[in-house]
Amino acid sequence: MTEFINRNKRQLTWTLYLIAAVAIALFLGDQLAGKKAARIVQTLISGVLVGGVYGLVALGIVVINKASGVFNFAHGWMMVVGGMIFWSFFTVSQISVLGAGLLSSATMLMVMSTVSWRNLREGRNPLIAIGGIIVLTALMTVGGIEWQWLHALTGTFAGAILTGLAVERFAIRPLIGQPLFTAVLMTLAVAEVLHGVTQIAWGTVELNLPVFVDPQTNSRFRPIRLDAFRDVLDGVAIVRVELVIAFLLAIVAFVGFILFFRYTSVGLAMRATSEDQQLAQSVGLRVRVILAITWAVAAFLASIAGVLQGGAVGLSLNISFVALRVFPAVLLGGLESISGAFIGGIIIGLVEQFGTLINSSEQVGTNLAPYLVLMLVLVIRPDGLFGEKRIERI
Amino acid sequence: MKRLSTLLVLLFLLGSALPSLAQEMMDYPSDLTECEVDLTGETINIFHFGDLSGPYAFITQPVVSAVTDAVNYWNGRGGVCGAELAQIYEDTGGSREAAQSAYDRFTSTYGDQLDLLLLYSSDDGELLREQLAADEIVSFISAGSIESLYGEDGQTPGWLYASNPLYINQFGFFCQFVAASPEVFPDPVIGFVTWPNAFGRAGTEPAAREYCSGLGVEVLTEPQFFLPTDTDILTQVQNAIDGGANIIYTNSLATGPALIAGTLVDLGLEEDIKLAGVNWVMDTTVGILGQRVLKPNGLPSVDGMFGSMPFLWWTELSHPAVQFVYQQFTINERGPTEQNIAYLVSWGVVDSIIETFIRTVNRVGSLAAVSGADIRATVDAMDYAILGGLMHHRFDEGMRDATQNRIAVMKFANADMSGAATGPGDAMLVDGPAGKMYLPIVVPLTDFMPVPQLRG
Amino acid sequence: MANIHPAGVFDTTYEEDMSVDRTTRDKLWKNLAFAALLLLPLVSVSGPLGLGWVSDQYIGLIARISIFVIAVQGLNILVGYTGQISLGHAAFMAIGAYGSAILARELGFSFWTALPVSALLTGLVGLLFGLPSLRVKGFYLAMATLAAQFIIPWVLRYPLEDLTGGTRPLSVPAPMIGPFASYADDAIGADEPLAFQAGDPYFVDVISVDLTAVAGSYPIIELINPAGDAVPYGDFYMSIAEDSDGNITGLSYIASKAGEYQVLVRAQNGGEFTAVLRRSKALSFATDIAMYYIILPLAVLLMFLARNIIRTRTGRAFISVRDNDLAAELLGINVFGYKLRAFFLSAVYAGVAGCLLAYERNSLSLDAFQLDTSIEMLAMLIIGGAGFPLGAMFGVTFIRLLQEAMIPTLRPWLSDWLPQLLPFVDAVNITSAINPILFGGALIVFLVLEPRGIAHRWEVFKVAWKLRPYSY
Repeated sequence: MTEFINRNKRQLTWTLYLIAAVAIALFLGDQLAGKKAARIVQTLISGVLVGGVYGLVALGIVVINKASGVFNFAHGWMMVVGGMIFWSFFTVSQISVLGAGLLSSATMLMVMSTVSWRNLREGRNPLIAIGGIIVLTALMTVGGIEWQWLHALTGTFAGAILTGLAVERFAIRPLIGQPLFTAVLMTLAVAEVLHGVTQIAWGTVELNLPVFVDPQTNSRFRPIRLDAFRDVLDGVAIVRVELVIAFLLAIVAFVGFILFFRYTSVGLAMRATSEDQQLAQSVGLRVRVILAITWAVAAFLASIAGVLQGGAVGLSLNISFVALRVFPAVLLGGLESISGAFIGGIIIGLVEQFGTLINSSEQVGTNLAPYLVLMLVLVIRPDGLFGEKRIERI
Repeated sequence: MKRLSTLLVLLFLLGSALPSLAQEMMDYPSDLTECEVDLTGETINIFHFGDLSGPYAFITQPVVSAVTDAVNYWNGRGGVCGAELAQIYEDTGGSREAAQSAYDRFTSTYGDQLDLLLLYSSDDGELLREQLAADEIVSFISAGSIESLYGEDGQTPGWLYASNPLYINQFGFFCQFVAASPEVFPDPVIGFVTWPNAFGRAGTEPAAREYCSGLGVEVLTEPQFFLPTDTDILTQVQNAIDGGANIIYTNSLATGPALIAGTLVDLGLEEDIKLAGVNWVMDTTVGILGQRVLKPNGLPSVDGMFGSMPFLWWTELSHPAVQFVYQQFTINERGPTEQNIAYLVSWGVVDSIIETFIRTVNRVGSLAAVSGADIRATVDAMDYAILGGLMHHRFDEGMRDATQNRIAVMKFANADMSGAATGPGDAMLVDGPAGKMYLPIVVPLTDFMPVPQLRG
Repeated sequence: MANIHPAGVFDTTYEEDMSVDRTTRDKLWKNLAFAALLLLPLVSVSGPLGLGWVSDQYIGLIARISIFVIAVQGLNILVGYTGQISLGHAAFMAIGAYGSAILARELGFSFWTALPVSALLTGLVGLLFGLPSLRVKGFYLAMATLAAQFIIPWVLRYPLEDLTGGTRPLSVPAPMIGPFASYADDAIGADEPLAFQAGDPYFVDVISVDLTAVAGSYPIIELINPAGDAVPYGDFYMSIAEDSDGNITGLSYIASKAGEYQVLVRAQNGGEFTAVLRRSKALSFATDIAMYYIILPLAVLLMFLARNIIRTRTGRAFISVRDNDLAAELLGINVFGYKLRAFFLSAVYAGVAGCLLAYERNSLSLDAFQLDTSIEMLAMLIIGGAGFPLGAMFGVTFIRLLQEAMIPTLRPWLSDWLPQLLPFVDAVNITSAINPILFGGALIVFLVLEPRGIAHRWEVFKVAWKLRPYSY
């Protein structure tokens, strides 16, 4: 008997998986049997679109983890800060030059001093810094409210870089060489400070962030109604335009990052750094700079996600909790996998929506199903669906 | 500076409707009891703690502003019976651990002085219920749960007094309203689409369902839950509609009602499905967030949303209490985000605390001699129109929550500020931070009436 | 490092090398500290001696710190010693808390039996969620425990709603020893109020009325407390017994407030009865001070046990699994078995802590056991020093003192002058930002200065002290 099991381990495992898959399919089929086709299609659409936003949030967490091995608990608050900065530039008709100048100065200061504070004095660096400040400030303040997208994107870009670099410089860099745990805990502390900074700068508010609005009516885009399929679906499914935009943005970001990590020298250097910081340093990579870039990039990703979520629901401090909801997506895809984050996000989005469709009076969709799926995936594929296989015994 | 530029013109406009306010200071709107004891040199502390930096801070934060303004107002007028007012408060960030610690710190630091405590959240009320009774401290709370006010059996009144009706009673009251207006709500079936916490679930109990079905209003047994972090709640809303609901009731705040209203517009059902909620949905934030989506008729998605309104609201400017608070709000240069229900009600609570202290001191003889039991005796016997009618302070035998309520509807002001707009043509549009924006107003539909008692 | 002794003290045997208290002075200091902590409530403001040297808030604070020390010590066994991360510790505490509360409420267990049973139950659930450690490690394992953090509260909240009350708070009776045999029995006449003195916060009186109906309807019993209020029906302690007809045949009430009570038995519909008032004494742990004497010794005991586990074969196996699981397996250690044992032990500690939390607060809510509590406990452990016997104690004490003593002290002062310093910021915003900024800022500074935890610094300090004046 034991011999048989050992000889046919692979076949047996797959048989078990198959049985489980059939059981799940039967269960789902039974639960969904009474639902209209339109509802199921609608749930599919919502799940995939919401999953795209999750994927974008997950991407920010994965990027940092990929480069530095740190799990970033502060990602949610980076989303809030990014969204709030965007709101400030987007909705204010007359941007104060002083405020924009301060923001760009701080950003350039952090950028130029990434390697060392001494760099600020060397060669043409002061000129570059001043030039950068002028350009950024000009981009943030030029024209009136009709230039709001330019203002907001520049402001968010500068703000995100400032946030990322400041976090890296003052919180993460002092911990190079210390246990990884400490750095993870440090992100928790950073989250608290970002929470406080948000409170001081914007207060405890719920804001309307009108990014997805139709300029004519000043109302959010009307959703696309799939009227053409009314007869087939026995009802009308709708597609929310702002979620489609978010989804497309997420795809662009993902493709960009996959290419970035595969083909650019900085991307390759980031991967090398995540493998072994000391080794990377010894082959001549500037670990500091690479970590700094990673944090800036992650902060920018967080800002985009914050703007999308804020635009779709409204901007509030609650957005920080979206990052917690994304944990299963990150894990499902694998902590190191860019494409995994995206697919993990979509799977979790679908699981949540279908769980809600089946039973939303017991929070099956949000509090149970994603974690059951997570457990299942962990048992079947311990490194996530797309995580790097590590050859080691457990 | 960004804050200043985002100051909603809301204030300015409301102010311009009342030109006389700007010039002369209004009298205090309520008839406080005469002081029989001079308290010069003494201090009356207003103790409160709650969530100032956590998930509910956006609605509770203005409590501090209002109490600060009220304290400054009174001290500027020479205090209460000569006694200086002061506030002592703490931020718990919404955590029970922090609330317990704040309570311990208050009781051990202030000991005998602490006879009356203002709490914000019913969660803190539940945690401290037994301790307040043991320490003989009366507590005022805006809206308590059944368990915090009446104990686990729902029959044991404690030391907490709520200025709102219980959420379940508000729901029953709404059912009454629905049953009484068949022309607005034909064949009513109510479905809950709500937050999953204790607050969100209040009203989904079988007792409320039975009461409503007795009135001919069906309530779906299965509540649909969504989270404040949800991006899309089509599934929940459609679940309720598939279940047969033509009225959606929600216990949620801020983005919650706005999200439901927007989803209804997305589905093209804004005329067929009515939206209603607990008293917190009738708030400025909802009115502003609800403008993200406009109905086909051009008005914001939350236009026509029903809700409880157990106190007066900002737009009821004909009432001296609202005029007075509005004037104070303007004088103290408070921001638009603070112009919510908490600011208004907190002025009322301070008035109620002052009246309680005056009456108690008159009876007992001195401030030092006042005990929690004395305060309780006063509170139990008091029948008092707060700020001359903003709320009513009256707790009949064994009652710990307010018994009077109104139903109101959220509308948007028309161009000459004389009433509600019927479409984008006659609506008042003001320059807000995000372009033109509508001006939310809350229109009461009923008078104050007793709520049904459903806590069972 | 840990084994550096003062000059003249040398380890000559294995026992000496492994001893916890190598010198009598070590032992003396520890016992003195424990004794001082034990005496603290006696000299507090509401303590029985009435000395008022210590504010009451610190008694509650130390009790709450001790509870979390137990929980975090459990986490230390799992994370610090065995190297398995857990993000579900708060959910395990929830099982201990709800388990003990339900045992008491539904099955009539006393605190003293509910504590071990619920701890064991928690251990078994911990074992269950430790199973994925067979296949996964590192952060993926952390996520398996994250699943526990969501699945366990979900199970408590929905499928078990009838027992746990779901989102509603659950009240928990105070621990009690007794009641002992009754010391006074008085007959009560019909419609005649019977007044008597009773009550004490520590030695409470359990008041019961034994009723026998001679004829007709059963009477109504009313109890008036010293404040003059009728004791509400719901406050009558659990044992309202009913006969087959559903009539009340007796009741009991715990009088903890000293004063004059009154019992009144009203006849109904011409019914006749005989009633006897019984009073018996019981030792109640309803007060903070009394509860302190359950929590603190238990915390010290469990700390001591954890310390000793590390010195056993099991503990050494834990550490070998953490340091190098491959090598551990080659040495003949059943890695999976020891991981499971660590999960079990860790969950038992969490269960005890949860049970104590339930009985200390007398009110339970699922909100207290969310993910943020799990993360906070992990933070406490790392601040204190993971893998150090005293790490849990240092970490919890530091974080709680920061939150509950330092920040509240600084806060009023900061909310006075910060708005003047930042005139362009709304004062309300500053008020609400102070807590997160101070907390986060303190953590950042602390982590930068001492990334290996307070316990590490403590070890360095001890060595320096023992080598004085020649410390290097």
